[in-house]
Amino acid sequence: MAKPRKKMTAAAKNEAKWAWCFILPTIIGLLVLNYWPAIDTVIQSFYKTGDFGMGNKWVGLANYEKVFGSAEIWQSLWNTVKYALIEVPFGVCIALVLAVFLNRKLKGTSFFRTIFFLPMVCAPAAVAMVWRWLYNQQFGLLNNIFHTNIAWISDPNIAWISIGVIGVWSVIGYNMVLFISGLQEIPGDYYEAAAIDGATGIKQFFKITVPLLSPTTFFIVQTRLIGALTVFDLMFMVMDKTNVALKKTQSLVYLFYDYAFTKGNQGYGAAVVMFLVIFIMIITFILQKLEKKLVFYN
Amino acid sequence: MKRILSVVLALAMMMALVVTSANAADFTINVNIWDSNQQKGLQEIADDWTAISGIPVKIEVVDWNNYWTLLEAGARGGELPDVFWCHSNTVQMYMENDLLLDLTPYVEKDGIDMSQYYEGITELYTRSDGKIFALPKDHDTIALLYNKAIFDKYEVAYPTDDWTWQDMYEAAKQITEKSGGDVYGYALNTSNNQDGWYNLVYDYGAQVITEDHKGTTIGSDAGKAGMEMVRTLLTVGAPQTVVAETGTDSLFQSNKVGMITQGSWMINSFYTAESHADYYWASLPYADLNGNGQCDDGERWSCYNGLGWAAAYNTQHPDECASLIEYFCSEAAQKKQAELGVTMAGIKGISDEFANAFPGMDVSAFTKAESFNLYFRPYTRNTVVWEDALQQQGGFLDAWQDPSNAELMATACDNAQRIIEEAIAAE
Repeated sequence: MAKPRKKMTAAAKNEAKWAWCFILPTIIGLLVLNYWPAIDTVIQSFYKTGDFGMGNKWVGLANYEKVFGSAEIWQSLWNTVKYALIEVPFGVCIALVLAVFLNRKLKGTSFFRTIFFLPMVCAPAAVAMVWRWLYNQQFGLLNNIFHTNIAWISDPNIAWISIGVIGVWSVIGYNMVLFISGLQEIPGDYYEAAAIDGATGIKQFFKITVPLLSPTTFFIVQTRLIGALTVFDLMFMVMDKTNVALKKTQSLVYLFYDYAFTKGNQGYGAAVVMFLVIFIMIITFILQKLEKKLVFYN
Repeated sequence: MKRILSVVLALAMMMALVVTSANAADFTINVNIWDSNQQKGLQEIADDWTAISGIPVKIEVVDWNNYWTLLEAGARGGELPDVFWCHSNTVQMYMENDLLLDLTPYVEKDGIDMSQYYEGITELYTRSDGKIFALPKDHDTIALLYNKAIFDKYEVAYPTDDWTWQDMYEAAKQITEKSGGDVYGYALNTSNNQDGWYNLVYDYGAQVITEDHKGTTIGSDAGKAGMEMVRTLLTVGAPQTVVAETGTDSLFQSNKVGMITQGSWMINSFYTAESHADYYWASLPYADLNGNGQCDDGERWSCYNGLGWAAAYNTQHPDECASLIEYFCSEAAQKKQAELGVTMAGIKGISDEFANAFPGMDVSAFTKAESFNLYFRPYTRNTVVWEDALQQQGGFLDAWQDPSNAELMATACDNAQRIIEEAIAAE
């Protein structure tokens, strides 16, 4: 039976009015800055862009046909996926281990927490610049310390790993903080009981920590996966246009930027980014299905 | 209560600020450029104009890449700076879309002789209907830069003004070999086009963009011969992985490279570098096509380019902007521009002083280049598209990566021919 619709009291009406007033700035911001550009992107992807966005010509699905037929796009999608395959698993596992250690009552935990979180505070562009010099073949610190002569970011076979390492390094601190907050919600009784039954630290980690932390882990994996699939700044700052490895590392968003803003072809750029959006939607859908099977909610 | 008071006070102060600036009633002409090396000198010239007109000029520098993003966003939103530089890469689109102030009436009214400027530059900034949208600011040429200390160390003879590209190859080879690969004789990236490999294409008789801006001959036998010489030079130069990570200029300034070719717009960055006392300029080498041992007409080309001073179509102060532009492009101001070492002039034959603008460094190679065969920087309607593609994989990058393979360079020339033709067709 449907609930009878209650009439709002004057007080409730007043409250609702104020509630609207308070969320209105955010809503307007979202509509103008997020939703409208998103809709405009969809529209633009069906147009051939004229100079300075004036005189756009309707071309139907031509941009999409070009996207799906382009080897460059598929290569970039693969590059993006490869990057995510490094950043997400390593970023999550290392952060989890660190979080477990830093969640103990030890001297200097806040000091270490600060250190691991610091990369999150730095501007991504600055981070990328510093890594670019660390990796430099001629003058880089890495090659100097190890007395090697490796082209870390110019060898197509290893450049994608080098880029992935920067991503992992940047994201560990953030994941770690989320894990620590998740860890603090696990009651200490479980560990005490397990210790009495003679479970070792490692057993406790896999039998108690990992399953009880799975909602946090799932949240991190999902947000980081989306973050990794939309990576742009690392490739943009680290790789020069004439870098031999660029084609093997450039992400889809990098390609979007290149077409839309360097070459002034917003229509094709929009189609590239729509391609990525659809891909991310599929991935998210699969993840949501997996959630029911893998995540443990007590 | 205190808080309210402070808010009121702050508001009152802001009001006062707004009112005073409105009372002053004058305005500033905002100028955007991309080269910080030129800012100081140009501000000095702009201040001369301010002394006459009473209108302050503020010159702001935005680096090359962001400059174009900013300008395009400004063009879309109708918020262009009052006065700014135009470049051959993009100016066609700005002119065709009427985004620049039409300077023709001012040129006619003030009787400016357009023939005093370099033809290529004037032509660039004149639309097909004859309207003039920018006045030539300057011109630049290319020369060979070498590090004397490196030549001394490996006992190689210095470059001369009579060098052929083959001579350059021999010298680069000696440096690279004698140093055991620690120092490279020469460095060239695919992105060094105007200051690098373009010149060889012209020396050997081909054109990157034909004179009507509708085609290319880079895939012809002459074009392939030029790029073959580039390939030969690359075999003794810095590998592509190195130049893509560090940049030829930085390599040179770190004493890792004996020779590079560079344009006159870059002099200041070498003049102010740490080991500038070792740096010397020589004329670009030539291609001795007929083998008679001397440089004949058509065997030595230098690219030249010229920026243009333009104003926004919707500026609030068109008359003042035009007056500033005319001043920047007057003989007096451009002479001063050359004397200050900012750049060589857009007006022909008044740049001799530029050679003396850098005490302790002889830059006469650039003014000498004015007597070579000059070609204007190749451009089409949307230059960036093919210029970018040429620098990357599928363009010349594959050949650069493996210079020992002559096949790759010939294929790259064919690819380049196709890339340029397709890009022009899509314009």
